[in-house]
Amino acid sequence: MLKSSLKGRMGMVGLAAVMVLAGCSEQNPAKPAKVASSSSATLVAYAAPVESDVVAMRRLTSEQYQSIISNVFGPRVKIVGKFDQLVRINGLFAVGAAKVNMSPAGFEQFEIAARAVAAQVVDPKNRALTMPCVPASPKAFDEACAQRFFSQAGRFLFRRPLTDEELKTRMDIAAAGTAAAGDFYAGVESGLSSLLMTPAFLFINEAVEPDPAVQGQKRLTAYSKASRLSFLLWNTAPDDELLTAAATGALHSEKGLAKQVDRMIASRQLEGGVRAFFTDMLGFDKFDTLEKDSVLFPVYNAAVSLDAKEQLLRMIVEQLVVADGDYRDLFTMRKTYISDSLARIYRVAAPKPGAWGEYTYPENSPYTGIQSTFAFTALHSHAGRSSPTIRGKAIRELLLCQRVPDPPANVNFAQFNAEHSEFKTARQRLEAHSTSPSCSGCHKLVDPIGLALENFDGAGQYRTSENGTPLDTSGKLDGIEYKDAPGLALALHNNNAITGCVVNRLSSYALGRPQTKDEKAWLTTLGERFAASGYRLTALLRDIANDKAFYAVPPAEQQVTQNVQ
Amino acid sequence: MSILLKRPAPRRDVLRGMLGGAAVSVGLPFLDCFLNANGTAQASGAPIPVRFGTWYWGCGHTPGHDVAAKAATGKGIKFLEECAPLQAYESHINYFGGFNTPLDGKSNYVHHSGWVASRTGTAPANTGEVPAPTLDVLIADAKGSGTRFRVLDINSMGNPRITYSARSTYARATAEAAPLSFYSRIFGPDFVDPNKADFKPDPALMVRKSVLSAVLDESKRFQGVVGAADKQRLDEYFTSIRQLEGQLDLQLQKPAPNQACVPMTFDGIAGSNDELAGQSFAQVEAVAESHKVMMQILTMALACNQTNMFNVVYSDAFSGLRRKGDANNHHTLTHEEETDPKLGYQPMAFWFNCQNMLGAAAFLEAFTKFKEGDGTLLDNCLVFANSESSYARYHGVNNLPMFTFGKAGGRIKTGYHVVGNGDPCTRVGFTAMRVMGLPVDRWGTKSLETSKPITEIMT
Amino acid sequence: MVSLSPIPSSIFRPSLRAAAGAGLVAVLAALTPAKAGDPTSKTLGFAVTTFNTAMYESRFMDECPQGINATNDEFWWRGLSKEERGRLTNNGDMTQIARQHIANHRGPNGEDICQVPTAVKDPPLYTVRGKLAYGMKLDGTDDGKDTPKSCKHEKFTGVDGTPAIDNQLYRVLGCVYGWRSIGHIETAANGHRQTNGLGMILIEVSGVDDARNDDDVTISFYRSVDTFTFGASASPLPYSTYRIDYDGEKPRYGDSIKGKIVDGVLKTTVPGDVKLPFYANQSFQTMQLMDTQIELKINADGSAADGVIGGYYSTQQLWEYIGEQGWQPTGLYTCPGIYAAIQKLADGHKDPKTGECTSISSAFKIKTVAGFIKHRDGGDKPNKIAQAQ
Repeated sequence: MLKSSLKGRMGMVGLAAVMVLAGCSEQNPAKPAKVASSSSATLVAYAAPVESDVVAMRRLTSEQYQSIISNVFGPRVKIVGKFDQLVRINGLFAVGAAKVNMSPAGFEQFEIAARAVAAQVVDPKNRALTMPCVPASPKAFDEACAQRFFSQAGRFLFRRPLTDEELKTRMDIAAAGTAAAGDFYAGVESGLSSLLMTPAFLFINEAVEPDPAVQGQKRLTAYSKASRLSFLLWNTAPDDELLTAAATGALHSEKGLAKQVDRMIASRQLEGGVRAFFTDMLGFDKFDTLEKDSVLFPVYNAAVSLDAKEQLLRMIVEQLVVADGDYRDLFTMRKTYISDSLARIYRVAAPKPGAWGEYTYPENSPYTGIQSTFAFTALHSHAGRSSPTIRGKAIRELLLCQRVPDPPANVNFAQFNAEHSEFKTARQRLEAHSTSPSCSGCHKLVDPIGLALENFDGAGQYRTSENGTPLDTSGKLDGIEYKDAPGLALALHNNNAITGCVVNRLSSYALGRPQTKDEKAWLTTLGERFAASGYRLTALLRDIANDKAFYAVPPAEQQVTQNVQ
Repeated sequence: MSILLKRPAPRRDVLRGMLGGAAVSVGLPFLDCFLNANGTAQASGAPIPVRFGTWYWGCGHTPGHDVAAKAATGKGIKFLEECAPLQAYESHINYFGGFNTPLDGKSNYVHHSGWVASRTGTAPANTGEVPAPTLDVLIADAKGSGTRFRVLDINSMGNPRITYSARSTYARATAEAAPLSFYSRIFGPDFVDPNKADFKPDPALMVRKSVLSAVLDESKRFQGVVGAADKQRLDEYFTSIRQLEGQLDLQLQKPAPNQACVPMTFDGIAGSNDELAGQSFAQVEAVAESHKVMMQILTMALACNQTNMFNVVYSDAFSGLRRKGDANNHHTLTHEEETDPKLGYQPMAFWFNCQNMLGAAAFLEAFTKFKEGDGTLLDNCLVFANSESSYARYHGVNNLPMFTFGKAGGRIKTGYHVVGNGDPCTRVGFTAMRVMGLPVDRWGTKSLETSKPITEIMT
Repeated sequence: MVSLSPIPSSIFRPSLRAAAGAGLVAVLAALTPAKAGDPTSKTLGFAVTTFNTAMYESRFMDECPQGINATNDEFWWRGLSKEERGRLTNNGDMTQIARQHIANHRGPNGEDICQVPTAVKDPPLYTVRGKLAYGMKLDGTDDGKDTPKSCKHEKFTGVDGTPAIDNQLYRVLGCVYGWRSIGHIETAANGHRQTNGLGMILIEVSGVDDARNDDDVTISFYRSVDTFTFGASASPLPYSTYRIDYDGEKPRYGDSIKGKIVDGVLKTTVPGDVKLPFYANQSFQTMQLMDTQIELKINADGSAADGVIGGYYSTQQLWEYIGEQGWQPTGLYTCPGIYAAIQKLADGHKDPKTGECTSISSAFKIKTVAGFIKHRDGGDKPNKIAQAQ
């Protein structure tokens, strides 16, 4: 079951295929107005979307960009260019995306990406899949075909139907481009690239409209709701059915919404959404610049880095999606997936040489829980050695959502490197730190956690000593004492903050902003219902996705400068 | 303006274009502050612009072993062992010692407050915050852009995320971090060789411009429906589109012949190496190598008028520089290495500090080797070079090490050791802005505010 | 000119140095998973990275007082008149490689002297006269006397001082340029072995209770179908997984001998005949090594083991390897001389009818990295996965 869910999660669709699904397979395109609406009874719902008040703009991540393009045009269409970095707020890029600016260099990259995508879409090799129609002549402008392409592709790219004016702009560009180049596809290419450079595509725009149910109040438009739902559950744009539910107004009804939520949670695409959330929450962007010393850790290479990230995500998907199990068990699970390159790190036989294989660590193994994998221990280490402090801080901040204060600047480090001192282990070095009152406060918070993971060196390989001195891996987390990594695993499993944290992060991720004070009660309720479900992530997702609070109009400008990372 | 689309009158009437090889003329603002004060020109007669850049290294200096203290500002810099590689360039640089960084009660966010305060004039209120634009952004904004790229950001450690140039917390620059992709961005297919006899505007560029124009016009309608913060973000977006339009405009006009601009192939760059492409590294030798290659690309990009602004990061604030096979990097050594009682400093941390200064010397070598007009490329640049710590071991932010490299086209004297007497470090950045012709009378906030440029070194 | 200044490594205190590899002995022991049904017994796996004829080379080449043997080209050259030399070599302009074909066929009737090594009679090969060698005591005697099974021969003393070592293969090849460390016959073969996975020998030590001391283990030899993975320094990484090569239901190789581990050194207790996948340049053979013994020193962290494997090598097989290589010109040896020396110095498996020995005592130096040897599920050892300690 897992195997199939891991394979081709973004199931190639292609615009041509989408058209069929959308019931628009007629060979002779209908009149523009009807084509633009793409499915019946939609004209009411999308009236003048850009004139609605836009209350939030979240820049697409490169993953979202890629998955939208893959879904609309098929996975063969690749993204080139490197996008501007996002900023973490509340521990999440998904939140920072609502604040981040577009720099000239960043836009330059989006323009390059847009042109590259458009060129691939009209490439003769791809046209059969990417284009819904064939022009009467490849050298002349075919209005009907162009209109059909832009209205249909535009609906998926903008996550709502194009307005007449937006459509007309593309038609104008395409017509002029066709005339200039004597090539219909060149015209379409320019028109499509223009779609991909607009704020309507590059930003997830959340628009509001008057709420017919409550006089004077506003509500998110149905299309904005659809986007929220889709980016939360699938990390990609809404599909045809969801857009149709938005168009018909079904999404505004509890029943209509629940139907979509059920469908989307049952979908294979849920895995993509879960992966995206944890990639964000666990700070996997650090993998992009991960470095290990090649002399000290010859076993490390780029394949290890890629596989380590994949390993942890597979464990998460296995536990939370496939098995639909308890979130807390992530920290004690011994079932994992191992590739050839990881097998060398973990020093076990590759369960399935040449491929990913399932592996379960024996009960007494130190490899217990996701925090014992390379993607945690090595990611939160120096290039040349482990760091209990960095690891402890990562557990506090990423898994328990607790902020560890910045280190004081005025520490007299001389006391830690007094002459003739010979610290063999990290514990000895850190114990020296703890003698300083200005340091001990924070080090006490993080070191006892990180020290329990000292059996894993800077490249995640097991060891029992450092510099010839046996390691003492005992520690304490919030009053619970343990002697090793499995002990820490259990302490994490039983720590209330671990479930509170995922509720906090997931709801913030879903909203695209930090929660307000007023939403504290909502968080409490979510937490209680999460517990009642046996801490099943799918239940939490369903709960959030069906909750009115999730679709509430975001409050005006928030002070969110704290917790910027 | 677009020749492809029949649209209402354009925003910028100065831009005109025609397809098919017909004349394309583009008038762009070309501020006086771009031109060097001596009025020297390239052989072609085109005036030489003055460029502004920054150069960054992490974890500061080893006090007492960097530059000998001086009683008063004056000509002559006595470089000590750590800065010895700079000795050969004394006549091209200024050193600023004794400037402080008052934080007005805000915490010293380690390896952060120092660079933020010295480059933005405001102490940050938390780690990660950049409360105001960095001085390079201010200079770039004031100068506008007459070049293909508004600014080029470069990271020598292969990490595009580490830059010390930002408009705000949410608008940090992304750097070119791999020599090959940096080269391709500038000298790839879109590069227009100014010395090529047969210039023909590329019709594809006209198409791209039309598309941008249409996108800009359409997107403007968003302005009326978003909140204040998003409105500002949209403005940034529009600026970015216009910048790209300007870039395309420049490529559509025949550049003035420019003898200093002799682009090389990537393989022709000394030390170019595919292995440095697209990977993060912090190994000292690799950083030095990558920097060397990228400085060759940068100098040529400047000579070819591709940009007038650049930011270079040699090593990061939490200096991750390391030696192959050693468990500790530069930063951890600054805290954990013992002080050698005989030497009086931490030998390995000192060694890494020396590597940074060797990097600075390599930068100076690349810029002085490059001839331009009657002098060198460096003569027509002003580069603000600094670090976030004075002594990283204690995270000191007072007496932050700062340099300027270059004569800014004759607008600044060089070879001076400027003594700060505890003045705010912002005086140096403020001086740089004034030298670059910015009409500002003060800069910075609270105790970091200054209205006093260092006139002793201004011409 | 900017350059990097020297690194003050000596003043860098040791505690700041990494100890990435330290403490691995305990590591591996701790990692050992308890096996269902067999909670104590463990398996060690090693993949052979280099396989070389064990040559003891003294600093001043004392083992070869007569010098190094002349090459085939030289013998051919010497045998020609001045006129013939000019005629056959384009007046001397032809390179050695270009004239190798003619030189190889220097038999009186144009025979290839590697195919028919008796076609010419070269001067006797310079053989090893030294006293030291790598290898094992194979014949059971202290003096190499004639026995019903072996032929009289001179013994060596082991490089480590072990008396009565038998290694007549070294005696034959020790003064031949191509096999010495500066020659490239085996260096090239090792390169191919590592890059192409040719003749990859797996050594599995099973029935291990204690990885450092165990008086009864079984040593099995397999061929791998998986190749090496290399680390940053381009050497094979330890702890890779290697699948065994199967021929139908059974491993293609898989002979075993009994042994023990003493202080981390694996030794043979009961020698036996084993087949090994053997790769020599451009050709592949199944090496039949009889009365095989092995001695492997497992390093402290268990990630590698180096040592010697010795036994009687069939002279017929040995000749197939040497004579059919086609490496005579570049390998710088001469077939007739080696052939005659093998016949003369063969010391094992005496043919009771002819009284001639049909095998030659030999030893090979091997280097290995630890790895996981994977048996096919449902194969001869169901569900068994070799575990490195």
